[in-house]
Amino acid sequence: MSNNDIQRTVTVRIQRFNPDVDKKPHMQDYQVKMWPGMTILDALHEIKTHQDGSVTYRRSCRHGICGSCAMHINGRNTLACKTPIINEVQKNDTVTIGPLPYLPVIKDMVVDRTSFWEQYLRVKPWLLPPNDIPEKEFRMSQEEVDALHDAEACIMCGACYSSCAVIGLNKKYLGPHALLKAFLRVLDPRDTAPAERLEIVSQADGVARCHTIFNCIDACPKGLNPTQAIETLRKLAQKRQKYEEARRERQKHLNEPIPS
Amino acid sequence: MLTFKIQRWSAIALLFFLTVHMIFMHYVPPFHITFDVVQARLSTPTWKIIDILFLFSVLVHAMAGSYQVITDFESAFNYRKALAWASIIIVILAFIYGAKTIWAFQL
Repeated sequence: MSNNDIQRTVTVRIQRFNPDVDKKPHMQDYQVKMWPGMTILDALHEIKTHQDGSVTYRRSCRHGICGSCAMHINGRNTLACKTPIINEVQKNDTVTIGPLPYLPVIKDMVVDRTSFWEQYLRVKPWLLPPNDIPEKEFRMSQEEVDALHDAEACIMCGACYSSCAVIGLNKKYLGPHALLKAFLRVLDPRDTAPAERLEIVSQADGVARCHTIFNCIDACPKGLNPTQAIETLRKLAQKRQKYEEARRERQKHLNEPIPS
Repeated sequence: MLTFKIQRWSAIALLFFLTVHMIFMHYVPPFHITFDVVQARLSTPTWKIIDILFLFSVLVHAMAGSYQVITDFESAFNYRKALAWASIIIVILAFIYGAKTIWAFQL
């Protein structure tokens, strides 16, 4: 950031909506003086603290871990806390911020995530371990761990869900976030219910509804690939029985050392 | 998932039939296509069967695709069984109509 940038004042254009007062959302402009390293979330704090206390948004960790501050910034979904404002300032010195699309707005940038969590719970995103848990640890190969690593990094911010065009049309679709979690559990050798999950994702509102538009990949602030996970689930869903047999066989050896 | 599979399989069939169609219609003599040429070709049983199968693949692929796109809308998604039956009936009727036309060609 140059000295000129430090002095710069930018216009932060925020989509405002208060259901008690407004009939429909409207845009409101605020002038914010940038400082080095300022993020979009810092700008929102600045506005809320010094200019307009009624501006409403969710935030928590400020480190890109909690996923609370996912917003629609300059036409794309991302985390406000990890987006430097200098990268988003457009030619007319403006940054436009709105709530996540396709979700009902509660107030300003706060959206109702009920459908997001409902779909998430449908795939049973928790680990269902076998009854005979090993005394010390489950032994997984490096390849098995690597396959799960990407899906494990998901912070459930909702950026992928609300960028998905299918979700825009149909809230009954499981969505990229839930399918990514299903992928995580289906490929986890410790889990005992991949067949059940594959049955769930094979339904009419599951993997077959994805049109591989790739919006979820573009939106993910963690750089994950939900489309690839959905594609893998599609393949596995078509050979559920074979996959289930292989899983049972694998689980017999979970407490044994991994052959090098 | 069944519709998804049907669309994939019909796409593979289409790829084959379209290739055959393109080669024999445009890259094999006589290059100037007239009604007489088409009539002569379609009066052979082999071409009748190829074109009827081609017609079937096109109809199934188009209907599966339309069904998927229509049921993307939540309002239509709730009526997907009725829509599936309507699609099947449309495919059957269109297939009978088209197949009868192809079968009718004689020299």
